Amino acid sequence: MAEQRRTMMGNQAITQGALEAGVRVAAGYPGTPSSEIIQNLADAAAEHDLYVEWSINEKVSLEVAAAASLAGLRSLCAMKQNGVNVASDFLLHLAGSGVRAGMVLVHCDDPGALSSVNEGESRHFARMLELPQLEPGDFQEAKDMTKWAFELSEAIGNLVMLRSVTRLSHASGGVVPGTIPAPQGRARFDHHGTLLDQGHGPVSSSPVGLKHRRQQEKLKKAVELFETSPFNTYAGPEAPELLVITSSICNLYVKEALALLGLAERVGVLKLGTTWPLPPKLLQRNLERCERVLIVEEVIPFLEENVKIAAAEMAGEIGAKRFHGKRDGTIPASGELNPDIVIKALAGLLEVPYQARPAAYDRLAGELAPQATQERELAFCPGCPHRASFWSLKEALALDARDGFICGDIGCYSLAMRPTGYGMLKTLHAMGSGAGMASGFGQLGRFGMDQPVMAVSGDSTFYHAVIPALINAVHQKSPMSLVVLDNSGTAMTGFQPHPGTQANAMGQPVPPVDIEAVCRSLGAEVTVCDPFDLEATRRAAVELLADQSTAKVLILRQLCALSPQRKGYKPYDVWVDQDKCLGDQCGCNRLCTRVFGCPGLAWEKESGKARIDEVICAGCGVCASICPQGAILKSERA
Amino acid sequence: MAMINRGPRELLTQVQQAGLCIGCGSCVELCPYFRHQGGKTVMLHDCDLPEGRCHAWCPKTELDLEAMAQSLWEAPYTAQGLGPYLSVVAAQAGSRLSGEGFQAGGVVSALVCAALEQGLVQGAVLTGGQGLDPAPTLARTPEEVTACAGSKFTAAPTLAALNRAQEQGPGPLAVVATPCQTAALAQRRAKPWPGRGNAGAPELVLGLFCNWSLDPQGLASFLAQRVDLEHIRSMDIPPPPAGVLQVRTDGETLEIPLDDIRGLIPPACAICPDMTSEWADLSAGMYEGRPGWNTLVVRNEKARALVEGAVEEGWLKLDKFPAANLEHLTGAAQGKRLRGLRAAREQGLLGLSGEEGEAALRVGPQLWQAVTDGEVA
Repeated sequence: MAEQRRTMMGNQAITQGALEAGVRVAAGYPGTPSSEIIQNLADAAAEHDLYVEWSINEKVSLEVAAAASLAGLRSLCAMKQNGVNVASDFLLHLAGSGVRAGMVLVHCDDPGALSSVNEGESRHFARMLELPQLEPGDFQEAKDMTKWAFELSEAIGNLVMLRSVTRLSHASGGVVPGTIPAPQGRARFDHHGTLLDQGHGPVSSSPVGLKHRRQQEKLKKAVELFETSPFNTYAGPEAPELLVITSSICNLYVKEALALLGLAERVGVLKLGTTWPLPPKLLQRNLERCERVLIVEEVIPFLEENVKIAAAEMAGEIGAKRFHGKRDGTIPASGELNPDIVIKALAGLLEVPYQARPAAYDRLAGELAPQATQERELAFCPGCPHRASFWSLKEALALDARDGFICGDIGCYSLAMRPTGYGMLKTLHAMGSGAGMASGFGQLGRFGMDQPVMAVSGDSTFYHAVIPALINAVHQKSPMSLVVLDNSGTAMTGFQPHPGTQANAMGQPVPPVDIEAVCRSLGAEVTVCDPFDLEATRRAAVELLADQSTAKVLILRQLCALSPQRKGYKPYDVWVDQDKCLGDQCGCNRLCTRVFGCPGLAWEKESGKARIDEVICAGCGVCASICPQGAILKSERA
Repeated sequence: MAMINRGPRELLTQVQQAGLCIGCGSCVELCPYFRHQGGKTVMLHDCDLPEGRCHAWCPKTELDLEAMAQSLWEAPYTAQGLGPYLSVVAAQAGSRLSGEGFQAGGVVSALVCAALEQGLVQGAVLTGGQGLDPAPTLARTPEEVTACAGSKFTAAPTLAALNRAQEQGPGPLAVVATPCQTAALAQRRAKPWPGRGNAGAPELVLGLFCNWSLDPQGLASFLAQRVDLEHIRSMDIPPPPAGVLQVRTDGETLEIPLDDIRGLIPPACAICPDMTSEWADLSAGMYEGRPGWNTLVVRNEKARALVEGAVEEGWLKLDKFPAANLEHLTGAAQGKRLRGLRAAREQGLLGLSGEEGEAALRVGPQLWQAVTDGEVA
């Protein structure tokens, strides 16, 4: 029986849609803003007889989900925008071979790079790989469109891409859930037919010529369905002064902007849910409404360019139009959009005076805000082992005195590019790229480069993409050092399990794959240290740098301060002996608060001395090791 | 004396990044920021103190020779001779000193043992270690002293051990130091830094004669191409005209022409005006032409008392130092001083009193004029 309207996060709505579609297998790799989709499905696995996994990386997750589809079970794969790049190699082949049971790839972009180091646009993959692209325009659609995406996938026999963005995935709205069917169907991969028999034969994108033509026919069928899709809607007057074409969360920004500006009677809105390929008849009907068109979308002008191409093709029927959007600067070419930006664009185009906030309010807010908010760097958490790790690595590199550097990659430790992480990362790109680049830098000694190079990676990243890079370094005899910052979980995205953990996404026990053993098996020398032991870690890192004859690995293993195992547990009571603390007279000039910079350490202006902020101190005790005066004390808790 | 004190950032730019750091260890262990590793002194983290002991006591920040002489010697700096002294004698270790591996007469080890026995000091900061791995050491017994015997030809952060030892408060200490290190210790005497822990000037400074040292990392790389570094047991430079560095390993002695290793001399040595550790209480070095003996320069009453006691206690034997040898030694010391001052001036590192800016060395214009006119030769 259908439930009443509920408030759901976008990712929760997508999950609900998948469950209503009867999904049986889901796989993904954690990455904000997509992570909750797989987690929610994992939580529902027992109740709805699903198989859900956090795969080692996005390509593998897509392969796992594809296997289910080929065996006749509906499957879903979820990842963030970066992940589509990782998965794209297999994605290209899968697009050519097609799928059997409905299969949906949910890819979540991060406009504005709120939780990313890029704001990559993954819709291009749909066009490049010739797959249909859907974009839900609100929370209800996120649920409904996900369910429909499985039907579409089966209707055309190919994967369907469904795009979300941060403000849809992580914001919440009203959703009327539907019924979740009982699990049904038995997995079986039928491979006894011919290569051309998509339903029963071996699966491959070969013979390419035939399969490619077939793939394009599938797209044509998708377009026919898109022409009448309920996810493409028009709202507004029959002949508006301006036609806004939009999709995704921008649909809500446009709605809010029109309401605030009072332009609902002057502006028409074509909200597209099926953004690739565009349905031409639907588009023609709407473009005929007026001469001026504004396209509102994030991140790149994907929709804008495709609409323009379509308009050019139908110019004989609809005549010339004037387009506004990212190309003419009406909409910013990068960054996240919001209602204010859309208001500005609409107000400008339609010459509507609008003041979002009185000038006096703005002035007052500018004056008061700094007083009401504490100035703080984007920082590692109190008790974060990465702070201790980078502290020791920084000292080791300084002691080495050859201007060595660290190549990094994606994870909490990306913060080490900022002052709070002592500015230690000198390169930051994709998962595993730190190790890969270090492998490359290591080869440059023959060209006179005398700087030692280190790479850092998290434990999850190690499995995801570092192993091939490490193999490369070992095999190519690249003198680099890999430091695995093993905090025993995919901490940045919410402690999803990875191959090193003892339970899978569904909470079932699984054999952990030991990083140390993997590295040794690859032929790398391995040292393991506790990063909270600053001296031992520094010594190990110095030795690592001193002898870079081969690829070496230093595993710095310490639980994340926020990990479920450590949460609420303080290993040490830590306090500052106020008599020993030299305060403002300290010859080290506040090494504790100025340089080490753990938020759990505070400098009291009144006393001019350091103190521990008991509320946020995680009790790691590392600060007791750095005070040259020995004024920070710790005692092990019972 | 002129008190130009700056902070660690200036130390970094003026000395380390300028290639003038000799790695004496004066700034190491005073604070958490400076450390020594593999022959290099490095700044681990950024310290923004406007003034610090690291800068004030560094022998390469601004050594105002005339002001220092007035402060320590209560006499003008003449840029002549061996510096102030009471006597110059030939010396060798007495029968009380046991052990082996001494350079020449073993005088330094013998004097340190005597100072410990006399209670003048309770420990001595020495440069121990073997081969290419000099290790600053605090010795408290004659056995620990003799274990450190032998010359090391690479710069060593000996003063770091002094700083570390003083933090532990073992009482008065002796330091066996090279000229640059004695200059650093003289800076401490001239610029005391109250309220910053125990670090300060030691009770007794035994200086070593030195013409130059070698960059540790450079020497290691150089020797690694010729010998297994792990087998190096000691090194020596015999008196002229040998002109070689002898490297003794377990089974052989390798002789390397000095001309082959001159490129490993740190730039800081080129501007050093001191061959005989003139800022020390007493100085010891080679006695050319008399194997098994040292030249000993006794500079003040404290040193004289130590030496006299050492002779009485059987730690030391003395002999006359011929006038011809003294003249030769003085000429050699004078030659290094003039070369150092001129090189410093040529490199813009010698400032004259009254001139703007900071320099590694400073003298008055009149003295500099005398040097350039050859009047102090």
